[in-house]
Amino acid sequence: MAASEVQTVADVRANRDARRTGGTDVIVIVRTILSAMRMTFLNLFRKPVTVHYPDKTRNYPDRYRGLLALVYEKDTGEEACIGCRLCEYVCPPAVIKVEMLKSEKRNYAKSFTLELYACEFCELCVQVCPTDAIVMMKSFDMPTTDRRELLLDKDRLHSIGLTFEQSWATGNKLRDMQGPPKQAKPVAHAPAAAEGTTVS
Amino acid sequence: MIASLPGWVVLLIAPVVVLHVVIGIVTYVTLLERKFAARMQSRIGPYRVGPHGLLQPIADAVKLMMKEDVVPTAADRPIYNLAPIVFLLPCMLIFATIPFAPGLGVADLNIGILFFLAVSAMEIVGLFMAGWGSNNKYALLSAMRAVNQVISYDLPFIFASLVPVLLAGSLRLGDIAAAQSGLWFVFYPVIGQLAFIAFIASTVAAENRAPFDILEAESELVAGFRVEYSGMKFALIQLGEYAHIIGSSFLGALLFLGAWAGPGPEWLGPVWFLIKAMFVFLLVTWVRWSFVRIRVDQILALSWKALMPATLLLLIATAFVVVWRTNGGV
Amino acid sequence: MTTAAAPKRVELDYAGSERLTMNMGPQHPSAHGVFRAILQLEGETVVDVDAVIGYLHRCHEKLSETLTYAQYPSIASKTDYVAAMTSEFAYVRAAEQIGKIEVPKRAQYLRVITSELQRVASHLLWLGTWCLDLGGALGGGATIFLYCIRERELVLDLFESLVGARLLYGFYQVGGVRYDVPADWVKTCRETVDLIDSRITEYEHMLEDNPFFMARVQGVGVITRELAEDVGISGPLLRGSGVDFDLRRAEPYSSYEDFQFIVPVETAGDCFARYRVRMVEFRESLKIVRQALDRLPDGPISSRPGLKSVAQTRIPKGEAYVRVEGARGEVGCYLVADGSAKPYRMKWRGASFSNLAILPHIVPGHKVADVVAIMGSVDPVFGEVDR
Repeated sequence: MAASEVQTVADVRANRDARRTGGTDVIVIVRTILSAMRMTFLNLFRKPVTVHYPDKTRNYPDRYRGLLALVYEKDTGEEACIGCRLCEYVCPPAVIKVEMLKSEKRNYAKSFTLELYACEFCELCVQVCPTDAIVMMKSFDMPTTDRRELLLDKDRLHSIGLTFEQSWATGNKLRDMQGPPKQAKPVAHAPAAAEGTTVS
Repeated sequence: MIASLPGWVVLLIAPVVVLHVVIGIVTYVTLLERKFAARMQSRIGPYRVGPHGLLQPIADAVKLMMKEDVVPTAADRPIYNLAPIVFLLPCMLIFATIPFAPGLGVADLNIGILFFLAVSAMEIVGLFMAGWGSNNKYALLSAMRAVNQVISYDLPFIFASLVPVLLAGSLRLGDIAAAQSGLWFVFYPVIGQLAFIAFIASTVAAENRAPFDILEAESELVAGFRVEYSGMKFALIQLGEYAHIIGSSFLGALLFLGAWAGPGPEWLGPVWFLIKAMFVFLLVTWVRWSFVRIRVDQILALSWKALMPATLLLLIATAFVVVWRTNGGV
Repeated sequence: MTTAAAPKRVELDYAGSERLTMNMGPQHPSAHGVFRAILQLEGETVVDVDAVIGYLHRCHEKLSETLTYAQYPSIASKTDYVAAMTSEFAYVRAAEQIGKIEVPKRAQYLRVITSELQRVASHLLWLGTWCLDLGGALGGGATIFLYCIRERELVLDLFESLVGARLLYGFYQVGGVRYDVPADWVKTCRETVDLIDSRITEYEHMLEDNPFFMARVQGVGVITRELAEDVGISGPLLRGSGVDFDLRRAEPYSSYEDFQFIVPVETAGDCFARYRVRMVEFRESLKIVRQALDRLPDGPISSRPGLKSVAQTRIPKGEAYVRVEGARGEVGCYLVADGSAKPYRMKWRGASFSNLAILPHIVPGHKVADVVAIMGSVDPVFGEVDR
């Protein structure tokens, strides 16, 4: 559809070069130096873009990939994880280790360890989870001084799920968004404003 | 009040007082520069240490004092250790001749400005000692560039400073300041402005400030001649650099902006002097944060081919103007 | 094809002085990553340069043999980490070409939008770090660096609301993309694009009106047209030397033929020419993004069902070499598939790896300060070089 539009950029710059009338070199140099200094001077009066973290945080968008957590089912309050190990197989750096505990009605996870210090935050585990058990949070605030604290076991993963705000993506939502033949529609999200909000 | 004290008392106390005041100003000038530069870059400078970062220079000083003094094994010990002191001494000595108010100064020599210019050029020795003693190719390369550059730019600096000397008719800094009670030299038609611009340009270059900071060139030579210094020795070198810049700012304010002249009572004079010196310093800082640096051969070309002939011509023109004025012309 | 010219070794008749061997070591503020250049200096002039790479080797190609087609795209980001989606693009296109998998139109447009936004973000980082190298970490260079980073943050915010991640994504998958746009993303994207357009004009004025900048970059690091074609460089380096070759025009992929844009070509071949090429590429990328946003079709974002298990995507036997016009040049992925869920062999053609081969040809004869200017205009990213 596009005709061959290869041009040199001579005509793209024609307007700018036409601005520069003659004049001795010194005048041009002085004028250009002053215009560069004017640029920095103008920025002196623009508002700084710094956000005073951690007193204020910025609004994280709904899909933010933060910490990982395990959640409970909404209706029964039981653990949502059925120990199927799909997340363990899909994880590229292989940081998840799950053991299944079989039971009469449904299976559980006997143990679930996630090495957060090696996690890539690629969200593939969230994508494949059939029961929406593992999700990501809208925060990354978990600074530690000891790497062993980032080796999360099942209890810590559940407590993270209760502490922070959950982000939008769960397994079923992601699979619905991706797969044909259903018409994919853009999903409404809360707008991520640029202002800082005070942390309560 | 000062004159009523016996001379030997003044001689003992004044240097101590001036030294401490200068070190205090120099330390807080680093904070001023960081805040000013930060605002020009859409960010806030130091903010957390003390209210709005006011204790940041003190924190920096304490940190530098507590750091381990690492000396390279193959460094030339006497030269390496002596270099920061040899660098710092002239930078502090230049404040001896600056009068902060009429009669208030350490030593208002008859040859004040000559002393200033001569002593301030001596820091090159300390610089080269640092580069050589570090036993480091980067440091040596930067020291060689430094000698080139500072020598080349001291000449236009001297010529630009001599313009107010000619206009005032005296080498004594107190007299030059007094001669500006009517009209500041920077407002002198054409000559004053050109001399001020030449002064600023050669100050920026003679003090190795960007855009002429090829000798420290962080992205090429990391820290230049200071690369092997840490702890208190590094603090001394930083102190010397900033003291030199502040000294030149004070000189600029004295030579061109009328020193202590300003509205208000007479004791406000030193305050006005400080404000004008800070204005010159901020001008130099504004230039620093606006331009990328130019290459060493371009720096030298600029000095020898452009700045020095220009300032020489300016000096000759000033001489003609002075003669014409004293012979009856207005 | 003529044989490649031998690397230039300049012999200066510098009586009596010695050659100084200086190491611009792997840890260096302007090495753009981990790169070791052993310079032979005579005074201030570089006589010879010896490049040593490999400090960032992370065995991507072996790793791809152990990871499936579903897992590897998020790792692929890590080769060119500045413009991460480019590498993902090459990999998934290679898999789709072997498997003859169709990509829906909406996914193609989303791929184009994100590719061009990545190009903008990468060029912003290039401009900032180049000026930082030219002007020093404490000087005018830092000012422009912070302005560019301020704008790059806006682009990264866009990606954050689309994907959830800012630097390394995992956005592409075989068959399409993983995420669809949120409801108000198109509007925010348009506003950001307009803002960046105006700010780029400011930076152009700030730099091109600056006599110091022009003195540093004009006439420095000239790559002649013959040398460019011999050595095999690509991207803005090639277009800055007069060769009109852009993969988006020469072999249009992923609906690039639907968009109207100029391919900038400069003939001077010096650092300034490459700078101009990239500055025009900024504007053209923003133009493409606007066109794509205007005409974004509805439809599914992937032709494969949503990823449910790790070995879901199997590619039949075959091999393909697929190339993509990245911010740095031609990023290519050679994939050999054997019918299972993991590739048999994958090789990356890194754009920066081939571009770095130009250094021994153009650096000798310049001063030390020019070495950083040239390195910056070549714009290597060592994730791509060392993989």
